[in-house]
Amino acid sequence: MRIATLKTSYAGDEALFDTKLQRSLLALFGLVLAVFPFVAGPYWLFMACLVAINVASATGLNILTGYTGLVSLGQAAFMGVGAYTVAILELRVGTPFPVNLLAAGATTALVGAVVGLPSLRVKGLYLAIATIGASVILHFVFANWSLTGEARGLSMPPARLFGNDLDQPFELYWVIVPITAAMILGAANLFRTRIGRAFIAIRDRDISAEVLGIPLLRYKLTSFAISSFYAGVAGGLWAYFFRVVTPESFPLINSIFYLAAIIVGGMGTILGGILGAAFMTMVPEVLKLVVGWFSPYFPDALAALAPIRTIVFGALIVGFLIFEPQGLAEIWARVRRFFHLWPFKT
Amino acid sequence: MSECWTRRGLIGLAAATSFALVQGAQAQAQDDIVLGASVPITGVFAFAGVGIHAGIQDYLKIVNDAGGVKGRKIKYVAEDTAYKVDASVAAFNKITSQEKVSLYYGDSTGFSKTINPELERRGTILMAGASFASELNDPKKYPFQFMSGPDYTEMFGILMRYIAKEKPGARIAFVYSDTEFGRDPIEPGTKLAKELGLNVVERIVTPPTSVDVSTEVLKLRRANPDYTIFHGYVLAPIPEFITQAKQMNLRSQFMGTFWSMDNSMVQRMGEAADGFMGVMPYRYYYEKDANAPMLDKIRQMRPEYQSNAYMQGFVTAMLMVEAVKRTLEAGKELNGTNLKASLNTIKDYDTGGIFGVPISIPGNSVPVGRIYRFDAKAKQMVPASDWIRL
Repeated sequence: MRIATLKTSYAGDEALFDTKLQRSLLALFGLVLAVFPFVAGPYWLFMACLVAINVASATGLNILTGYTGLVSLGQAAFMGVGAYTVAILELRVGTPFPVNLLAAGATTALVGAVVGLPSLRVKGLYLAIATIGASVILHFVFANWSLTGEARGLSMPPARLFGNDLDQPFELYWVIVPITAAMILGAANLFRTRIGRAFIAIRDRDISAEVLGIPLLRYKLTSFAISSFYAGVAGGLWAYFFRVVTPESFPLINSIFYLAAIIVGGMGTILGGILGAAFMTMVPEVLKLVVGWFSPYFPDALAALAPIRTIVFGALIVGFLIFEPQGLAEIWARVRRFFHLWPFKT
Repeated sequence: MSECWTRRGLIGLAAATSFALVQGAQAQAQDDIVLGASVPITGVFAFAGVGIHAGIQDYLKIVNDAGGVKGRKIKYVAEDTAYKVDASVAAFNKITSQEKVSLYYGDSTGFSKTINPELERRGTILMAGASFASELNDPKKYPFQFMSGPDYTEMFGILMRYIAKEKPGARIAFVYSDTEFGRDPIEPGTKLAKELGLNVVERIVTPPTSVDVSTEVLKLRRANPDYTIFHGYVLAPIPEFITQAKQMNLRSQFMGTFWSMDNSMVQRMGEAADGFMGVMPYRYYYEKDANAPMLDKIRQMRPEYQSNAYMQGFVTAMLMVEAVKRTLEAGKELNGTNLKASLNTIKDYDTGGIFGVPISIPGNSVPVGRIYRFDAKAKQMVPASDWIRL
């Protein structure tokens, strides 16, 4: 049983991961991620990249909704801004892909800050509707601007690094996963700074936060900008991954997907965003695998069990909300507590 | 409770993963030819996906029961995509990593465009799909793909050729959804109308799922077209449009393209359906007077009505198998280039009456179709023209 962690230095006090066990588990996880592409097939690599992109975007939304308390349904449209920025830069300017990704983040941050303006007046569901309005406008722009290729969208060449085309999940894995990891690390550190704490103060009670001297205008818009930066980079990665960006690539339902991901994962925790996005992306695929097992015994299991699969996925989400309202992150926390307190029980 | 849940969940997940890996390792019978498919069994396109899935399976059953192609069976491996591009690509990756795939069926224009660079890189697969996008009808840009029917622009061409013959100089209007699907044939269609001496008097664009169309109907009434062509919808808002237009005494003839032409779908339009016309590349399930042995076979296999999506899946599988057969007969290797070349040798080919006339595939499409009109008494789409070849 562990009682507490003794910290004997400022460095120890500041550390993001404060125990040796945590650090070694993290190193082990890093090792697994590094070895994974060499043992997994293209399908699992594809899924890993997709999960990583969704994790990056969900983490961005978590900063805004989970930590700052501003509900947004514009995440998919923001990803679209990032994806289009990357595609346009790649096609028209030909700048290298790291520059394009940063530009995607920056452009989306700017758009996000503008979209965030209503957050100064409205909150909760009203803000959600305002962000839906913004995504409708963005979709209209995507579908009607000649620069964005109108309804047909844009097809782009693969990312290039040192003269090599990055067009396979195996190659893109080495771009997408490290960038996502860096973004998660950035988000985790953000909430140890004045800015991040101001976000949390605004979430908990914005009037009190203002009384404490936190300028709401600046911090709410900063939160929108940072969150959109994440969405923009995730959208840029998405564009390099699929290489076709159309107005239909980022429908409103995707925004709901990300919101559901952070709710299922656990709002206001970094781990929640990761687990939620992984859960929402992987569970439908795992359910397909399960259906696959029945195919030898069940005539046309694919068609017969498809509706059941959809229902099970929905039921799982509802089940989590009922039995674990604080999300998957809380389950993980409970598992950790179990081992910390062992042999005693919580 | 939740601890228990977690542990059980973890064990389940571990079991699932290991099972999946074992499954992945299982090899196919040595010389089976694999047709992979990303089909939308769930989601917004499920109404078609279920039919396509059944159609492909039925045709392959006929082929395999007859001993396969040169003794080799065709194995069908499908995954549900819910009509989402990322899930379709995931399915493609999954199937191609487990099987040696030679043929593939894709579910959307988005997927066809997204997977195209990968098809070119592999060069081993011939692909067709549910999309009739004009953009895909370009053998240079999409060398390993085809569509088993006319593309959307060609569908407009068939409709307008019919109109030009019935009423030269007719006034026509296009009503289309604001999607890639909807906008696809509008520009080239307008150009073609001019060439045929037709007068495009109005182009109305609506959101794909719009319900209230009263302002658009007023616009249509002002334009007063002889023919109105809907494109980019499956059902809504076509019935609403027609009902309101009829209430306003608009005498326009309403028409649709392939995906809004299924008989059961048109029946669901209710009163508005009477006289509704459109272009179909295939015969309907119930057409008994035609010389169509394949339709008889389908009716034997499935006594209940099958949709036009079923016919699409069925005939796509047929054309794919024909390409395989011609490639194997020529003693060539089964790869994308050879399969596509064999497909393009198809000339005056009899599909057993599913296409009403013998077909040829010079490029990426089969530019053939016929105009059908809904007969409210018979509750059926009935032929209104001869087969039109472009």
